[in-house]
Amino acid sequence: MDDPVADLLIRCAAQDRTAFRALYAATSAKLMGVLLRMLQDRHEAEEALQEVYTRIWLRAQRFDPARGRGMTWVIAVARHLAIDRLRARPIATEEADYEHIPDSTPRAESRLVALGEARRIVDCFGTLEPARAAALRGAYLDGLSYADLANRHSVPLNTMRTWLRRGLMALRDCMDGQR
Amino acid sequence: MSAEDRDIAGEYVLGTLPHADRIAFSARLKTDPALQSLVADWEARLADLNDEYAPAEAPDLLPAIEARLFPKPARRWPLWLGGLIAAAAVMVGALYLPPILSPDAPTVIARLGEPDAALRFEALHDGEALIVQRVAGAAPPSDRAHEAWLIAPGAAPVSLGLIGAEPLRVPYPDPPQGWTLAVSLEPAGGSPVGAPTGPVLAAGEINL
Repeated sequence: MDDPVADLLIRCAAQDRTAFRALYAATSAKLMGVLLRMLQDRHEAEEALQEVYTRIWLRAQRFDPARGRGMTWVIAVARHLAIDRLRARPIATEEADYEHIPDSTPRAESRLVALGEARRIVDCFGTLEPARAAALRGAYLDGLSYADLANRHSVPLNTMRTWLRRGLMALRDCMDGQR
Repeated sequence: MSAEDRDIAGEYVLGTLPHADRIAFSARLKTDPALQSLVADWEARLADLNDEYAPAEAPDLLPAIEARLFPKPARRWPLWLGGLIAAAAVMVGALYLPPILSPDAPTVIARLGEPDAALRFEALHDGEALIVQRVAGAAPPSDRAHEAWLIAPGAAPVSLGLIGAEPLRVPYPDPPQGWTLAVSLEPAGGSPVGAPTGPVLAAGEINL
């Protein structure tokens, strides 16, 4: 499958700096979007973006095109860095911040369906209870912790953990079943 | 692979794994290919959610990032002069030297720790990679790790990786003069937050 980001990553692994510039041009807006949404702070997102590209360059050799697409890999680098930063924050800040997070779920979902992409995961989300699907999205897209999500949905922490673990299992069965 | 690992890999990708579990899982992930493919499977399953991240214009941070990664050498010969010298060197080399000069023999570019310290590290460069190794002192206890960091002037440390029994080797064509290398004590598997969390055990400046 055509994957220009993967090609650039492979060239970065071979120390090709021109490819690194092209990679920044091709992916920085997306990664900035990821970091802004998760960190909810422009200054921190910009600082994190520098760190993300530093990691991408230093770790490009670990990218394996057989295991996934290039864009998925660079987004994973950005998400994991954001999650690490969120977990290192004092808990009070996390709770104070999450109120500002806009809930774009229905719009985004219909857009995905309209694009003909992601139909499988959207279909599978449709098989989950709405509150559990929303919790899974909040965890993945906004980097919310079990504690954040338990607060948001007014359920005990352990209940939230069970929701998400079962939700993941249900998603996996649903998606793998459709292959 | 266990079903338990598969579920934990899902929580890791989702980002909800509790802090301590996340640290432990990251540590195993670095060396366990089976775990790496479980994680890659989950990244792929959930990847369609990435479409919901709206792109946001990023400022051009490339100059700052490149300055971090590829610092300019202190001085450069004019190109034509460099060419002449190289040509002369090739001729001389062809006459006198056996043709086995690549990669360069590693040279020490930084010493981490005072000469009489119990725990010391050294950084070497061989023309292609930065190599960091312990030269004195003991390995960390099994629940801890020695993590190497590269620190540009005025910037946050960037992890180079963990120093085990084998030297740590990181591809790095031009080592940055004057930057600091440091080793900190971290949980097994390395710092979970992308920044040093434990005490700095040794540090030194890169001197080419």
